[in-house]
Amino acid sequence: MNFLRFLRPPTIADLRSILKIGPTAWGIAICLLVAAAGAPFVATYPLTILIYLLVFAALAYSMNFITGLTGYVSFGHVVFMGLGAYGWGTVVGTLHWSPLGSVVIGGAVGLLLALGLGIVTLRFRGVYFAIASLVTALAAVNIVLATPALGGGQGIILNLGFEPLSWFYAVWVILAIEVGMTYWVTHGRIGYGLRAIKGDEDAAKTLGIDVTRLKLFVFSLSGLFAGAVGAVNAWTVSGVFPEAAFALLFSLLMLAMVIVGGSGTLLGPLVGAVVVYIPHTYFLTVASGAEFIVIGGLVTFIALVIPEGIVGSLRRYVPILQGILE
Amino acid sequence: MTMALVAEGIHKDFGGVRALRGVSLSLTEGEIVGLIGPNGSGKSTLLNVISGVEKPTAGTVTLDGRRIDGKPSHRIVGWGVAKTHQIPKPFPGMTSGENVTVAALFGSLRRTDLRQASEEATRVLRLVGLEAKAGTLASNLTVQDRKRLELARVIATGARILLLDEVFAGLSAGELREAIELFARIQKELRVGALVVEHVMRAVLTLSHRVVVIEEGRKIAEGTPQEVVRDPAVIEAYLGTEAARAAA
Amino acid sequence: MPDATAIVDQLVFGVVYGLLLGCVFALVAHGLNLIWGIAKVVNIAHGEFIMLGAYGAFFLNLGLGFNPLLSAAIDGVIGLGVGLAFYFGILHRELRGKEAMTPRSEMVTLVATFGLSLLIANAAKVAWKGDVVGIPWSAGSVSLGSLQIPTGGVYVAILSVVIIFLTHVFFTRTHLGLAIRAYGQDIPAAQLQGINPTFVSAVGTSLGFAVTMAGGAFLTVLFPTGINPYMGALYAPISYIIVVLGGPGKMWGSLVGGLTLGVILHVGQVFLEPSIAYAVAFLTLIPVLVFRPEGILR
Repeated sequence: MNFLRFLRPPTIADLRSILKIGPTAWGIAICLLVAAAGAPFVATYPLTILIYLLVFAALAYSMNFITGLTGYVSFGHVVFMGLGAYGWGTVVGTLHWSPLGSVVIGGAVGLLLALGLGIVTLRFRGVYFAIASLVTALAAVNIVLATPALGGGQGIILNLGFEPLSWFYAVWVILAIEVGMTYWVTHGRIGYGLRAIKGDEDAAKTLGIDVTRLKLFVFSLSGLFAGAVGAVNAWTVSGVFPEAAFALLFSLLMLAMVIVGGSGTLLGPLVGAVVVYIPHTYFLTVASGAEFIVIGGLVTFIALVIPEGIVGSLRRYVPILQGILE
Repeated sequence: MTMALVAEGIHKDFGGVRALRGVSLSLTEGEIVGLIGPNGSGKSTLLNVISGVEKPTAGTVTLDGRRIDGKPSHRIVGWGVAKTHQIPKPFPGMTSGENVTVAALFGSLRRTDLRQASEEATRVLRLVGLEAKAGTLASNLTVQDRKRLELARVIATGARILLLDEVFAGLSAGELREAIELFARIQKELRVGALVVEHVMRAVLTLSHRVVVIEEGRKIAEGTPQEVVRDPAVIEAYLGTEAARAAA
Repeated sequence: MPDATAIVDQLVFGVVYGLLLGCVFALVAHGLNLIWGIAKVVNIAHGEFIMLGAYGAFFLNLGLGFNPLLSAAIDGVIGLGVGLAFYFGILHRELRGKEAMTPRSEMVTLVATFGLSLLIANAAKVAWKGDVVGIPWSAGSVSLGSLQIPTGGVYVAILSVVIIFLTHVFFTRTHLGLAIRAYGQDIPAAQLQGINPTFVSAVGTSLGFAVTMAGGAFLTVLFPTGINPYMGALYAPISYIIVVLGGPGKMWGSLVGGLTLGVILHVGQVFLEPSIAYAVAFLTLIPVLVFRPEGILR
């Protein structure tokens, strides 16, 4: 993966590849740009709804990198969010860095953690990886709860202002980068390698694919973004609280969004985020917990009947959409 | 410079079972070496050791002097040695074309340009006679086509030495004839070396320059196909002592 | 020296209580182990069925005054039915006509049971409210030196081991049990012996669920005040760890894994804070997976 080649001046070939960008990618790009342009004019309450929708979407894309593209189900993904939030909270609270800039720290914590965890756990086969990731998340919660330096059971309480626009743009930037990276990964050589791993990991090894390095790469990416989103999320509530930061709830939501939307696709995580977000917000005030009856049922149904999710299944069963939807 | 693969004194134990007991063989680019022997003699194990799927308990495998035993299989592919699977393992969610493109991208030629890799994939598919099925999902291919796809994939990795695990098995007489002709044509065009593990005698004897016979983990004969077929040790291994005596 | 004896006392209590707890954890994990070993399926909703077993005991106590031991038996019978429903609802579609569980099927069941766990846990929350409830039943306690051990705990520990032993007898000495194990090892070979794969895997699954739900009822004896709709989130990981520790599909693995985990947890709590003790106990999974993935038992 030679990144230095990105530093050369653009060529005609690059322009040609821009023209080849499909309608889905353009569609998402336009939606994002419209949202960015319109945000300052939206009233506060709808803006917060929009912010959390973007948070959900960002989490879905983060999950898509590992579970969507390689098929490795990560139940403990919330641990990246949580520790990213703690990283952010610590530098903002103790070192008094800017909350906006510190989001990068959250991302860095997520990245390093994913790298470390990945080296150990990615060598395990599917089911064992899932269990190992679950166990790690639970252990992490317990360890944090018992560490006084991180605020113990109380967490880190900050007194930051109510800045919905900053929150919006912070998560918008994260989401935009994620969509761009998802596009780059799925359209390039790496995308082929990941699909091969998802299809038959052992066969992939015998064709020259360095499976460990690829898995680690996407796992680190997903940790990076989850950590950054965790930081923004903590910013919106002006504090880092252990139960909330590490709520298994987030892992479950992330997984549900990717499965419902369509694993490994460009549009899938966005669709999944919208579909999951609606019952979530609706039931939040009515009957907490009920949204999961809907979401859980949807996940079970999709897993058994249309495992490719909404986007994947539309592509499979409606041939006209194959060229358009991805 | 022609690539040379040398396996020396390969031992492989699985718990209590001694699958290979000191097997040595060598082959160079351009040579077809048949590897035959009764069931359970260790032929597939030897292929697995050479391709990096298994680590030998003792012994070395060198490629142009460089030790490759015990190295991860993806690196061995990078150095130019690739193996097919006895039971084809295509990537089910991808088309034949995409399957071969993967090989072209990650094989020893390490292509980075997607378009070039796809073109190479199309070329290889044409070579094995699968170009009509380039757009078919691999999971929808017939068994015979899947075997061709296995072959196409290893060829597309750019390997100079192929390890073929029973590619001619389960074919009807007509299909077998086609497959033998196909392979002969491919080998003439690409000048690759191949270690061909087979049970189908006609294929081995027709195609091989040299044949190695293994029984119970040991090499018991080596020579041209004609020599090996008449070797009493080989006859005994396959048909028993009576037949060997009768042939002598 | 009072401090030393206090610590020794605590250690002994930790070990004894850990063993008792371990037996019940083992039973709860045993159901998962059976299904994992037979149908090669990891049930992510496992915790939710434990929860249902616990609530079963709660409601039977509330409405009919049954003690948890009796309720466990009733839960077991209900579990048979639940297992059948689970088999025909989810597993049958993936296993039918197949020679072995493909990695894709593994993932499908992983995800489907994930959805199921969300659904069941939250349906329970909406139906029964999220308050933590308990069962007011106690069999007194028994003295071991200077320590007080709850008698109920001893009862359920013994019963758990007995039940595990009975399943062992079933799987090694009865025709049906052997048939199920054969299916678990090699489906085509079992079919060639005249074993009906659907029947056998359905029975195996039902047994697994029966054991799971009975285990849930037993848990209420050791944790009389811990019944809530999300309790599955605690007991499921414990079960997974136990099964991996002991070795998936190995009959006695559940007991070995359960006892090990129970002791680690409770002895750990003598020296460390409960949160850390739990964290350490959970993390033992990783070295086991790295160095000995088949489990502690050879």
